[in-house]
Amino acid sequence: MYRIRFHGRGGQGMKTASRILGTACFLAGFEVQDAPRYGAERRGAPIFAYVRAGQAPIRERGIIRRPDLVVVADPTLVPIPAAGVLVGLDTHSLLLINSRETPQIWKGRLNCAGPVICFHPHSETRERSELPFVGTASAAAAARLLGFVELSHLEQAVQQELAGLDDPIVDKNLAIARRAHEQMAALEGRVREGEEASAHAYQIPDWIELPFEEARVSAPVIHAGLTSEAVPTGLWRTLRPVIDYDRCNRCWWVCSAFCPDGAIRVADGLPVIDYEHCKGCLVCMAQCPPHAIAALPEEEAAP
Amino acid sequence: MSKPDTRFRSVKDLPSSHLLGTGTPMCAGCGGLQALHEIYDILGGKTVFINAAGCMTLLSVYPFTPFRGSWLYTAMASAPAGAQGVRDALDILLERERIGTDEDLQVVVLTGDGAAYGMGLSSTSAAIDGGLDFLYIVYDNEGYGNTGQQYSPATPHAALTSTSRGVSGFAGYKKDLFAIWCAHRPAYAATVIGAEPLDLARKVEKAMSIKGPRLLLALAPCPTGWDFDPQETAEIGKLAVKTGVWPLKEYVDGQITHTKLPMRRVPVERYLEKQGRFRHLFRPERREDLLREIQDRVDAYWENP
Amino acid sequence: MTRQLITGNGAAAWGARLARADYVPAFPITPQTEIIETLAAWIERAEMPGRLVTLESEHSMLTAAGAAAATGVRVFTATSSQGLLYAMEMLYTVAGWRAPFVLVNVSRGLATPLTLEPDHNDVLAARDCGFLQIHCATCQEVLDNLLIAYRLAEDQRVRLPVIVNLDGFYLSFTREPVDLPEPEEVDAFLPPFEARDIAFRASMPESQAVAVLGGSPYSYFRYESHLAALNGLGVYETAGAAFGEHFGRAYAPLDCYRCEDAEICYLMIGSFATKARVAVDSLRAAGQAVGLVRPRLLRPFPGEPLRKALLGKRGVAVIDQNLSFGMGGVLHAELASALYGQPQAPVLTSFVAGLGGRDIAPEELFEIARIAREAADNGVAPPPRLLYTEDELRELRTLQTLARVERNELGEA
Repeated sequence: MYRIRFHGRGGQGMKTASRILGTACFLAGFEVQDAPRYGAERRGAPIFAYVRAGQAPIRERGIIRRPDLVVVADPTLVPIPAAGVLVGLDTHSLLLINSRETPQIWKGRLNCAGPVICFHPHSETRERSELPFVGTASAAAAARLLGFVELSHLEQAVQQELAGLDDPIVDKNLAIARRAHEQMAALEGRVREGEEASAHAYQIPDWIELPFEEARVSAPVIHAGLTSEAVPTGLWRTLRPVIDYDRCNRCWWVCSAFCPDGAIRVADGLPVIDYEHCKGCLVCMAQCPPHAIAALPEEEAAP
Repeated sequence: MSKPDTRFRSVKDLPSSHLLGTGTPMCAGCGGLQALHEIYDILGGKTVFINAAGCMTLLSVYPFTPFRGSWLYTAMASAPAGAQGVRDALDILLERERIGTDEDLQVVVLTGDGAAYGMGLSSTSAAIDGGLDFLYIVYDNEGYGNTGQQYSPATPHAALTSTSRGVSGFAGYKKDLFAIWCAHRPAYAATVIGAEPLDLARKVEKAMSIKGPRLLLALAPCPTGWDFDPQETAEIGKLAVKTGVWPLKEYVDGQITHTKLPMRRVPVERYLEKQGRFRHLFRPERREDLLREIQDRVDAYWENP
Repeated sequence: MTRQLITGNGAAAWGARLARADYVPAFPITPQTEIIETLAAWIERAEMPGRLVTLESEHSMLTAAGAAAATGVRVFTATSSQGLLYAMEMLYTVAGWRAPFVLVNVSRGLATPLTLEPDHNDVLAARDCGFLQIHCATCQEVLDNLLIAYRLAEDQRVRLPVIVNLDGFYLSFTREPVDLPEPEEVDAFLPPFEARDIAFRASMPESQAVAVLGGSPYSYFRYESHLAALNGLGVYETAGAAFGEHFGRAYAPLDCYRCEDAEICYLMIGSFATKARVAVDSLRAAGQAVGLVRPRLLRPFPGEPLRKALLGKRGVAVIDQNLSFGMGGVLHAELASALYGQPQAPVLTSFVAGLGGRDIAPEELFEIARIAREAADNGVAPPPRLLYTEDELRELRTLQTLARVERNELGEA
């Protein structure tokens, strides 16, 4: 059985990616199981999607603990523990990252045991509305790496899964899929099926007897305010708003008032963006009267 | 007021034979039952009554039923939802020609004030909002009668109930269910009372001529809950109207019309003094404050009816 | 017949459509929404004749479902967890109306704490109400058992509503290959609904669901519902076998996998049971005689089939994806009552796992089998185990720190 795990953010088409790949494998004659997995369905929040493909009906369920292929559509997820990008990777697992950096840099950065491959689907994607194309490209790249999916299966899968969309968008997705498929030509079939869990010798689970704890500890209660500030939602950003203070006219702080997250404070009469928490929605940019806020791609912005 | 387009021009036109069966366990003198049988006499037996928990749930206790037509007991909060299910199912059967139109039934919800004013508001609101074709009859005895007359959202100010036994009675005020229905823009809504059968008959007739969500809100003088001798039911009902405590009105096409305008309103006291639930307003001494307040409120209503 | 990748929710919607459900009272709740969205779209596009009406709550939704069934049309509805519980009064009520319909429950763990992921506390809360219960492990089973459920519910020996349960996320949002039968094939298996005497028509006055005062008559009505529910076992067996003749997939009240020569059996319901199937194969490969018994029918409780399958086995590991506070796993207690005092009854071990969708790792399943064997060898079962690991507790402690739970109250050094 092939086990593939996709990692991306809400809005990047990870569910579609898993469906395209799942359908493509199904059309190629495989038994398939695919599923998205969201925490909260929010734009920008990390989500996973799984695809299992095999010759026999698939009985396994739930999270993929030992992936054969991990596809990372958004590299900014890698440092986030909750995203679980690196969980279960071993020497045979292939890591496919959407990035213009080289595999060597990533291998060094992550210190991972198995091979790393980089792909870049749509080089000039700035428009957020085009982000779902990342999903299509990811699925197409993954399909080539699996090796048993024909291009025709992939194209049919794209058309099937995007059937509800307008023709020009479907065509664009097809073009992106073909391109990503082509990009991976030299690596066709590189994914290796992992071994099944063996009952001969297994890691004994470190079960504990959960101790009784009084309700003030064991009830689901948060005993303080503002604890959400520990969550770095700034990591959701793909575009960063930057204020040009020469143009800022210190209005009544429209940006600060309209920021949905309250991530812009006013200090000494000037707005200051809290980049730990700014999600990059860009309402501030859209509302700034003198147009003093510009958006930079996150990877280009100074840290 | 004689309306040319009604078959009920005078009390002589009211039905003299009764369609609703006798033998039910409602209290002797029940004002709600009085209103119900007047309504049923006109509504007829081609009906299915959907009931929510209340006094009248006991109309049908196995194996006895007073209805010529059908009945479904649901639960306290969801009789309108039950009506939705029955109406939709009948419509489906009619549409698919699995039954003929002669098999169709009027769907009627029958509940007390407990369900209508409180727990059932959620399902009622949805039913009106969804344009359900049904008639909703409320017998309002101003308290949770079946459980011993605890106060409900329909209980009037200062009334003694089993959960408001203090010297001043119930501290709250009666919710305006008629206004809540009207805010939903139903097909029809009307207040009625068994003691005014002609007014009631015309309203039933009017309601039957309209499709959509329709309300008949009947004040139901309750000998057991209000503490008076059963023979006074009709008299107390008439006083409710003559004092202006129970305005008789209807809503149709966005307009509210009073169908009886008491020219010289009788003082509210005449109505209150007949009921044990208001005895504390008179004995051991008169509670001028509460009597004044009640009268003022009634006066204020009629200043701008 | 076409074979497609369909989610569990999609399979449920197809089941309703192929069963020619006339009426769908609805109210949305995660993880069921895709079912009603799919049906709404089909009905709006006239691809499915039928009527879908959104009520304002699940309590109202179940009332409308029962009332429409009592009027005489085929009804489908669906809910989950909090919605099922909000409707609970009406589940008991409408079951007693003896008007059949099918309710799909997409299982989801109950508050508190609020969650979106699956376990079986919700559907098991309805085990006493009079609805029959069928539990599915795959998307194919969802479709197939919806059709069987209507035959079961509408059978004159039953005439009770039926819950068909599928697990949230693991089935509801997961696509698996599903054979979609042709409508004509389904019609041959499932004839139109005949309401007969429990209906509303002008020509026949019926006072339904009336009050009954007095313990003796009340008992009669309650006993009769119970007897009807018990009949469900035989009716399911027949319908499931007939389904096999029509479609090539037969269904029995129990799904027994590699049981005949097994010494130790897992007992589980629902989609996680397929993970146990994988574990059985791994353990067999390692030389152990392990099998899996998966009840599909939970109400009526398949006592006789379970006795047949399990008496003579050395041990049974009951894995409950539910927890009755202050008691333990529900399946464990019910199985124990079916086996108590019977000859050659196996040693039962109890495990609670998978609450709120908590994964069960292959190693955990292997260890469960080992403990079951050890208990069988010793003739004594250890206390029930609530599956939880050191790592999990460590992770929880970090969350507790963020939630400002006092350190010195965590009992740590």
